[in-house]
Amino acid sequence: MANKPYQEALVPGAFKWIAGLALFILLVPIFVVFLAGLNSGDFLTFPPEGLSLRWIKAFFESDSYLPAYLYSLIIALTAMVISLILGTLISLLLVRSAFAGRALLRAVVMSPIMLPGIVIGLSLYLFYISFDIGLARTQAGLVIGHVLVTCPYVIGMVSAALVGFDRSLEEAARSLGASRWETFRKITIPLISPALIAGGVFAFIVSFGQFDVSLFLTPPNNTPLPIALYTSLRYTFEPTAAAAGIFAIFLVVVSMVITAKITNLRRITAANYN
Amino acid sequence: MQDTQENRRLWLLATPGLLFFLIFFLIPVSALFLISFDKSSTGIVDIRWMFDLGNYERFFSRAIYYEAALRSVGLAMLVSIIALFLGYPLAFLIAKTTDPARNTFLMILVLSAMQLDMVIRLFGLMVLMGDKGLINQAAAWAGWTDGTPIPLMYNFFGVVVGLVQFTLPFMILSLVGVIQGIHPSLEEAARSLGASRWKAFWKVTVPMSMPGILSGMLLVFALAISSYVVPTLMGGWKVVVLPIHIFQQISELAKWQFGATVAVIMFLISIAAMLVYQRSASRLAGGRI
Repeated sequence: MANKPYQEALVPGAFKWIAGLALFILLVPIFVVFLAGLNSGDFLTFPPEGLSLRWIKAFFESDSYLPAYLYSLIIALTAMVISLILGTLISLLLVRSAFAGRALLRAVVMSPIMLPGIVIGLSLYLFYISFDIGLARTQAGLVIGHVLVTCPYVIGMVSAALVGFDRSLEEAARSLGASRWETFRKITIPLISPALIAGGVFAFIVSFGQFDVSLFLTPPNNTPLPIALYTSLRYTFEPTAAAAGIFAIFLVVVSMVITAKITNLRRITAANYN
Repeated sequence: MQDTQENRRLWLLATPGLLFFLIFFLIPVSALFLISFDKSSTGIVDIRWMFDLGNYERFFSRAIYYEAALRSVGLAMLVSIIALFLGYPLAFLIAKTTDPARNTFLMILVLSAMQLDMVIRLFGLMVLMGDKGLINQAAAWAGWTDGTPIPLMYNFFGVVVGLVQFTLPFMILSLVGVIQGIHPSLEEAARSLGASRWKAFWKVTVPMSMPGILSGMLLVFALAISSYVVPTLMGGWKVVVLPIHIFQQISELAKWQFGATVAVIMFLISIAAMLVYQRSASRLAGGRI
C-alpha cells in the first residue's frame, strides 16, 4: 500500500492509549505467571523478594505437574497427526469436488470451532456411556474429543491453500509418468506444506491448552496439564504450577513464532475466524 | 469419464474423516438432544426415546436455572461490548502498522495470548487480583488502603475481567483482517471533502468494519457464555452460570437428562446468537448474503 508513514500517523492518540491498555490486559497475567514461577519465596509478594530456580527444579521433580505436562504433549501430538491426515483428505474433497451440499458439509466439519467445548465433551461422554463402547474416560476417548476441535483448524488452512493451487503442476507430473501417489507426495504436499505446518501447529496448541473438551473425558489415572492446573488452582497457588506454566508459555510462543516464519499470520486468522 | 473417477477417489479418501465426524460429532450431539427429552432418572444413562418435556419445564419454572440463563446471556453480552471497545483500537493499530517486523511481533503477542491455556492465564490473574494478591498488597504498601482488601475477585467484577482477558484476542483477530481490507483512499476522500479525522472515522471506517465487529462480538459471546473455568475460578462459585449447572448436574448429582437439557439450552442460545448475527450481516450487505 502507498503512503506508508501516513498510515500509522492516522491512528488517533486515544486509540494508542486504549490499545496499550488492551495489550496490558493480555500480557500482564502471563508476566505474573513468570514472576510467580521464578520467585524465591513461597508466594508472590509486593515488592517481589528475589529470583530463584527452586520452583523450576520442583517442577522437574514433581509427580503431578511433570507427568501432566508430558501427558498433554502425547495427547496433543496424537490429535495433531490424526487431524492432519483426516483434515487434509476432507479438504481435498471440499475443494476439488463439486457436489450438492458441499457448503453444508463444510459448515458441519468447521462447526466444532464455534460450538461450546463443554457441550462437545458432554455429548461424547454421554455417547460413550449410553452406547457402551468402552471409550468413556479413556485415552482414546479423550483424543477423539481433541481431534474434533483441532481438525477444523487443519481443514480451514489446508482448504484455503488448495483453493489457490495451480493444478497444471499436478497434470504435468502425471503426464510425465508419475503415479497418483508420487504426484501427491512430490508435488501436492510440498506446495501446501506451509498450510500443513500452520494447521498442524494450531492443532497441537489448541489440544495442548484444551480444558473444556477434556473436562468430562479425562481418564482417572492420567490428567492433561490444564485439568491438573485447574484442580490445584481451586485450593491453593502453588509456585510449581506457575513453573509448569512457564514451560507451557515457551511452547506456545515458539509455536507461534514458527507459524509466523512460514506463513502469513493474517491469512491464518482469516481462514479460521472470518 | 475421468471426472467421475476422480470424484469417486476423492470421496473414498475423505471417507475416514467423514465417518469420524458422523460417529463422533453428529451422532453424539443428536444423542445429547434425545437424552434431554427423556424423563430425569438419577444414574440412568441411555437413550430412551421418551420425547418428554419435563426437564425443560423444570428449567423454565425454577428461578435458579432460568436466572442462571439470564445471567449467562447478560454476562456474555457485557463482555462482548467491553471486548469490542478494548479490542478495536489495538486491532486498528495492528492493521495500520505497515512495518512488517513490528506487525508480526504484535500478531505473535496476540496469538500467543490467545493460544495459551486459559487456566495458566487465570493463575496470573488470580495472583494479581486476589484478596492477598499483588494489587491489594501494592495498595496496602502504598498506604491507599488500611489493609482491608479491595474485593477484586470472587465476584461478578472478577468474572467479567477474566472473560475479557479470555476473549479479547479473538475479538482483535476478527477485526484486524476487516480493518486491513478497508482501502485508505476512502478515508482520505472523506478527509479531502472536509470531514474531520473523527468524522471520517465514524462515517467511513466504523461502518466498513461492521462485518468484523459483528463476527467478533458473536465469537466473544459464544466463548463467554460457555466458559466454565473463568466463572468457577474468578467467581469462586458465587457467580452461577449455565456451564456450572451442567457440571453439577452431571458430575455431582448424576442427573444426566437434566444436565443434557441445560447443555442443549446453552447450545440453542449460541445458535440463536448466530442467527441474529447472520440476519444483521445480510442486512448490512444489502441482502447480498
